[in-house]
Amino acid sequence: MGIINLAPKILDPIPGGKYVVNAIDYVVNWARANSIWPLTYGTSCCAIEMMSSSMARYDIARFGSEVFRASPRQADLFIIAGTITRRMAPALQMLWEQMPGPKYVLAMGACTISGGPFIYDNYAVVRGAQNLIPVDVFVPGCPPRPEALFHGLLTLREKILKETCRDPWHEGEPKDVSTMDRYREAAKTWAALERIKDEEMAEARAKFKEENPDYKSSFKPVRVKKEDFPEVERVACKRFGLSQLDIYKKLKAKFPGITVHTHSEDPIEDVVAAMPADRPLEVMISVEDYLPAVEYVKNDPEFKMNYLIDVTAIDYDDHFDMVTMLRSTEIGHKVFFCVQIKKNFDIPEEERPTALLGSVPTISHLYPGAEVKEREVYDMFGINFEGHPDLRRIFLDKDFVGYPLRKDFTHPQMIKRPV
Amino acid sequence: MSMTRLPPGFKITRDTNTEEFFINMGPQHPSTHGALRLALRMDGETIVEIVPHFGYIHRGMEKQAESMSYLQYIAMSDRQDYLTAIQNNLGVVIALEKGMNIGVTEKAEYIRVMLSELGRIASHLVFFGCFGGDLGGQTCLLFGFKEREMIHDILEEVTGSRLTTNFFRPGGSRFDVPENFIDRVKAFLKHLEGAMKDYERFLSKNIIVLERSKGIGILSAEDAIAYGCSGPVLRASGVDFDVRKANPYSIYDQLQFDVPVTYTGDCYDRYTVRIAEIHESMRILYQCIEKFPKEGPWRAKEKPVRLPVGRYYSEIETAKGLYATYVVAATTGEKPYRIHTRGPSFPHIAALNKMAQGHKISDLVTIMATLDPVIPEIDR
Repeated sequence: MGIINLAPKILDPIPGGKYVVNAIDYVVNWARANSIWPLTYGTSCCAIEMMSSSMARYDIARFGSEVFRASPRQADLFIIAGTITRRMAPALQMLWEQMPGPKYVLAMGACTISGGPFIYDNYAVVRGAQNLIPVDVFVPGCPPRPEALFHGLLTLREKILKETCRDPWHEGEPKDVSTMDRYREAAKTWAALERIKDEEMAEARAKFKEENPDYKSSFKPVRVKKEDFPEVERVACKRFGLSQLDIYKKLKAKFPGITVHTHSEDPIEDVVAAMPADRPLEVMISVEDYLPAVEYVKNDPEFKMNYLIDVTAIDYDDHFDMVTMLRSTEIGHKVFFCVQIKKNFDIPEEERPTALLGSVPTISHLYPGAEVKEREVYDMFGINFEGHPDLRRIFLDKDFVGYPLRKDFTHPQMIKRPV
Repeated sequence: MSMTRLPPGFKITRDTNTEEFFINMGPQHPSTHGALRLALRMDGETIVEIVPHFGYIHRGMEKQAESMSYLQYIAMSDRQDYLTAIQNNLGVVIALEKGMNIGVTEKAEYIRVMLSELGRIASHLVFFGCFGGDLGGQTCLLFGFKEREMIHDILEEVTGSRLTTNFFRPGGSRFDVPENFIDRVKAFLKHLEGAMKDYERFLSKNIIVLERSKGIGILSAEDAIAYGCSGPVLRASGVDFDVRKANPYSIYDQLQFDVPVTYTGDCYDRYTVRIAEIHESMRILYQCIEKFPKEGPWRAKEKPVRLPVGRYYSEIETAKGLYATYVVAATTGEKPYRIHTRGPSFPHIAALNKMAQGHKISDLVTIMATLDPVIPEIDR
């Protein structure tokens, strides 16, 4: 728009020329405001509402924005639909830089305003799109309804209609990713203000009590009678396949070291026999027995545990509990192997947060689906899998420091949830 | 030309006379259905190997859950698989009920099943739209979302929210259903029956769809089980496995429905299984309408959500497949020690390499559409 931006310089000094400039503004803004082409960008829930708004019921075409472009080079509007994570942030900034000006940004949903539901105890989410790129319009909601998105679009339209070539659109600067603690400062200021308010209120109350010692409020709260609901017994589920006791006995015969975690003092067999049908048997097993046991239940014709549900872990003070969930699609029974991995405390204390503290053999050669699950456990807990073909971080960047699901994990950007 | 050094993740070593190259697909790409990055190793236009890169929408939900109360986590589950948020709620709530050892009233069970099945239809309609849209038929997208809006109207009237419902609670649900709920569902089903006839006429016998999806992305039954696939992807490969039949929860054992199974395991089969599932869901809904108790309490007695020490596991069948919740309570109280979620889409993307090897890059779009993944549920 270089030539048009020169118009005020040439035309404004001429008598009557400013009307020509106004006319140019009117035409240019009319064209710009009525055909805002958005970029197809969506990461999570808001993207679905954005899609809904472009479909038959809501019909975004009424506002001239129906042409969703897959390439940033053809788009005018960047609708940031969904949470922005630290890993996605560089890609988002790059997309914005690839868009030709004049370009506009509409931040959709609570996540792009402040982090939304992901503010507290979170190491992965960027708290607001304004930390990354300049934003024109914010649309609150989680997720916002399509009508709210349209309101945002119309607000943007009004903003565009006020533009003039005397002060042409100029590109803002993308923000540095490292300065993202504005929220924390705001929270501190807010907390300080609240404290002052509380103190003032307490003072006022004390003063009022001194002045009117016999005062009694005439206000009586009206209690709405609550609906009466019955207590309902839990219905027992049907049992499929081997019972927990059978599974336990068979495994115990093969691997005498196994136990079942229990708090009662009854014999383990009684505890297992009393388990409700829909509760899977969770067997505590040592690291040495783990791989042979998984092999055994996979190949034994009575077990046929051919299906891996999941591999996950739990972090305790001195050990990890790694839980491998197996089931049989044919017979229907389940068994969970809970491997206790002692933490390796030979490592000096200052290196522990970034060191692999335990090791366990992989089962990815038995269940190919275990490969990604074990990578997840490695990524989140820092447990080594011996013999894993491709042990890399899966959800976090390769230069991320620490293992987030450990209880002692700290991250500079994490804000504790106020209790 | 053989590669001496491959980027991380690529495993296949092969000797060819052609030059291989790498293509990056995503994380911002319309047909990866979210923020997923696929690194493709290509030989001409043929895919040699795919390495999926996850984590672009990893939001640390499981870490956050450790400082949340159990009830707050129900709202988190909405944001995992947002296409079937109502079913995710059910999965979490069933795990909590096991811990609290409370039952559910009959009316509440019917409300649960009906809303879950409506959610399943809504998710499969989005699949129908995206499948058609990814193959180049944008009209399907418009049609799929048209009926979905009607489901959202019903959901909004019942739960107060279109997408993130946050509706079920241990023992029942947050509110009773409005009086006209049954009539609304009836009217919707009547409409959907006509609409489904149209939809099947659009795609099921469309020559372009047949050419582009038959024999593409075949996943054998053994591979599907080995990778841990579930839901329509597993059933399209010929494995008769549905949690509603294998380990019935709620009142699914009192309802009559079939589990559609096909045996080729290609893209077209995954499409037909989902269309058949919409019909089965409608069958379930008709039965629920007949049996729906007009009188009776819509929830059990409200109790504080405090779980005794232990580990609780629940699994349900969402529209995508097996959704499992694993709750660990280390102390009796309102907060979990750890909550883990097993989403159905994760193994599907892990098996993508198996399906797409040897196909053209345009077929990858078809395969991705029929897997119907939701990425935030993978990354959590």
